[in-house]
Amino acid sequence: MTKHDDAEKQESQESQPLLSRRDVLRIAGATGAAVIVTQLIAAGPLSADAITGISRETEASSDYSWGMGIDLEKCIGCKYCIWACQATNDVSRDSMRWNVGFPEQTANGVDFFMTRPCLQCQEAPCVKVCPVGATWVREDGIVAMDYDRCIGCRYCEVACPYDVRRFNWEKVEEENPYVPTWGIPEVERRERGVMEKCTFCVQRIDRSYEADLTPGVDPQVTPACVNICPVNARIFGNLKDLESPLSVWLRENNTIRLREDFGTEPKVYYKEPAAQEA
Amino acid sequence: MTTGDIALEERQGINFLRLWYVLIAIMIAIGLWGAYNVLRYGLVVTNLSDQVPWGLWITHDLSAIGLGAGAFAFSAIAYLFRFTQFKEISRAAVYIGFIGYTSAMIALAMDIGRPDRFYYPLIYWNVHSVLWEITWCVVLYSTILFFEFLPILLEHSFFDRWPGIRRIGHSVHSLTPVFAVLGLGLSLLHQSSLGATYGVLSGREIWYKPTLPVMFIISAVAAGTALTLFLTILAGKFMDQELISDDLKMRVARFSGYTMLLYLYLKLWDYAATTYYSHSPGTADAMLRLQLTTPYSRTFWVFEVLLGALIPAIIFLYPPLRRNDRMLIIGLGLAVVGLVVNRWNVTLSGLVVPPVWTPGVLGNILVYTYLPSLVETAVTIGIIGYGFLMFTLGVRHLPLYPKSEGEEEEAH
Repeated sequence: MTKHDDAEKQESQESQPLLSRRDVLRIAGATGAAVIVTQLIAAGPLSADAITGISRETEASSDYSWGMGIDLEKCIGCKYCIWACQATNDVSRDSMRWNVGFPEQTANGVDFFMTRPCLQCQEAPCVKVCPVGATWVREDGIVAMDYDRCIGCRYCEVACPYDVRRFNWEKVEEENPYVPTWGIPEVERRERGVMEKCTFCVQRIDRSYEADLTPGVDPQVTPACVNICPVNARIFGNLKDLESPLSVWLRENNTIRLREDFGTEPKVYYKEPAAQEA
Repeated sequence: MTTGDIALEERQGINFLRLWYVLIAIMIAIGLWGAYNVLRYGLVVTNLSDQVPWGLWITHDLSAIGLGAGAFAFSAIAYLFRFTQFKEISRAAVYIGFIGYTSAMIALAMDIGRPDRFYYPLIYWNVHSVLWEITWCVVLYSTILFFEFLPILLEHSFFDRWPGIRRIGHSVHSLTPVFAVLGLGLSLLHQSSLGATYGVLSGREIWYKPTLPVMFIISAVAAGTALTLFLTILAGKFMDQELISDDLKMRVARFSGYTMLLYLYLKLWDYAATTYYSHSPGTADAMLRLQLTTPYSRTFWVFEVLLGALIPAIIFLYPPLRRNDRMLIIGLGLAVVGLVVNRWNVTLSGLVVPPVWTPGVLGNILVYTYLPSLVETAVTIGIIGYGFLMFTLGVRHLPLYPKSEGEEEEAH
C-alpha cells in the first residue's frame, strides 16, 4: 500500500467511518439473503429438480423417446387392448378407461374402430398447468403421474384436449371384472381424489432399464395393449432408435398425429383407415 | 340496538334483523350438510365429470375473487393515486375483498380432490403453471387483506382492555400505503391470471386467446367496485344512515362506468376478431355447437353484454339515472350478476363443447351437459351465507365507514 493510498484512507476515515453500523447490518443481511437464495436454488423448492420433477427419475434417459403407432387400417375393433389395459393397470370401471375405443366412420363412409391411449405429448398441456408438478414429461418422453403429490384440482383434465385424464371421483372398491382373464394388475389402485392416466405401462418400461430388454420387442417390457393385439395393429418402440419397430413402421407408412394444430407434439402416430372397405 | 335497527323495526313492524340471521343460519346449515357429503363420499356427489371437471364451484371462486377486486382498486385509488376521498370506502372494500377471497378458498377446499394437500402448491413448485402463480398470489394477497383488515378489527371495543394490541393495530395501519402497493401488484397478477387459466390452453380453441386475462381483470375492477358500492348503499338503507357521501357515491359509480366501457370495448373487439371478422375452424365449430345446444348466445348477449355491462354503464355515466338511488342500485346489482354469468359462461363454454380429436366424422357433434347437483348448490349456498354473515357482522360492529357508528361505539 502506498503512502498516498494510506493518506486517502485516513481522510475518508476521518470524515466518516469506513463502515457504518448500518452498512454492516446491510452487508450481513445481503449475505444472509444470498445464502438463503443459493440454498433455495441449490436444493430447495427453487431448484431445477424441484421445479421440473426430474429428480424423481433414475433410469430414464433422453436416449429414449417412447412412442406408439396405431394402424387403423388393420384394427378389427376387438377391444382386447382396452380390456388388457384395464386389467394390467387395475382400471375396474369402464367409465375410467385409460385406453378408450369406439366405432367411427371416415368422411367417405368407411367404418373403422378408433382407439386412443394417452398420446404422451412432448409439449403436454396437462404438464404445463399442474400447480404442484404432480405430472411431468420424463426424460424418456413418458408423461408420468405422481399420485402422492396430486391435489385433485383437475386443471390437467381441463387442459388436455384429448380427454385422456381420469379422476377418482370416489373410492373405487369393486372387483376388477377383467382380472384375471385379461391380465394381472401390476400397479396399485389409485386413491380417491387424485388424477390418473395411461402411462404406456411405465412399470414395464422402467423394468427394461434394469434388465437388458427392449420395449416394443420383448413382451415383458412392452405395454399390455400392444402385446395383446391379435392383428399387430399397435406398434411400440423408441423414436430415437432408427431401427426400433416403431421407427421402421413410421418409415414405411404414411401416418398422422391427432390435432397437430394444438402444438402438443403427441408421440402416438396413426395410420388412417383404408379409403375403401376391403 | 342502533337507531337504524329501531327505525327498521318501526317501519316494518317485524324484527327484520332477526329474520335475516335466521336465514343466514339456514343457509350455513345447508352448506354444512353439503360439505359433509363432499368430504364423506367424495366428489362423486357432484354432477362434475371427466369431461366437465369444473363447474359451479369454479364459477364461485372466479366470481368471488373477481368481485373482491374492489379492495385493491379502492386501496390503490385512495393511497397510491391519492384520491383521498376514496378512503371513505376503501375500508369496506378491503373487508368485502377479504370475505370474497376467504369464501373462494372455502369453495376451493371443497373442490379439490385432496383438501388435505391444499398447501402443496406452496411446497412443490411448477412455475410454468398459471394456477401455481394464482395460488401464491391469492395466499399472499389474502394475507395482505388480513393485515389491512386487522386494524379495523382491533378498533372494536372488545380490544379496549389491551391498549398494547390496539397500538400494534395502529402501527399496522400506518403501513396501509405499502399494503396498497403490494396488493395492486399481486392483484394485477392474479386477477388476470384467472382469465389466463383458460386463455393459455392451446388445446381449447374457444378459450385460447390473449384477451381473456385482460377482460377478466377489467371486468373484475368494474364489477368489484360496483359490488362495494352496492353493499354500501344497501347497508346504509337498512341502517337508515348515509354511510358515505353522495359525492363519493357518484364518483365510484362513474369510475365503475368508465371501466365497464373499457371492458365492453375489449369484449366487442374480442368478439369481432375471433368470431365476426374471421373464421377459425375450431372456434367456429365450438360456437356452432354451443348455439345449437345451449343458451350460451342468449346469455352472452343478454346477461353479459346488455344487462351485465351496457345498461350498468349507461346508468353509471348518465347523471339523471346515476342520481336516482333505485336506478343506481339496479345498475350495480346488474353489474355483479353480469360478472357471475360471464365467469360461468367462460368456464362452461370451453368444457361442454370439447375439441374434436378423432380423424373420423361420427363423433363430431360432441356436446356434454352440466348442471350443478344438489350438494354442489348446497355448498355454494352455505358459502354465500358465510359471506352474508361476515358482512352483516362487519357493518354492525366494525367501523367500516367513517360515518357509521358501530353499535359498541354508541354504547359508550
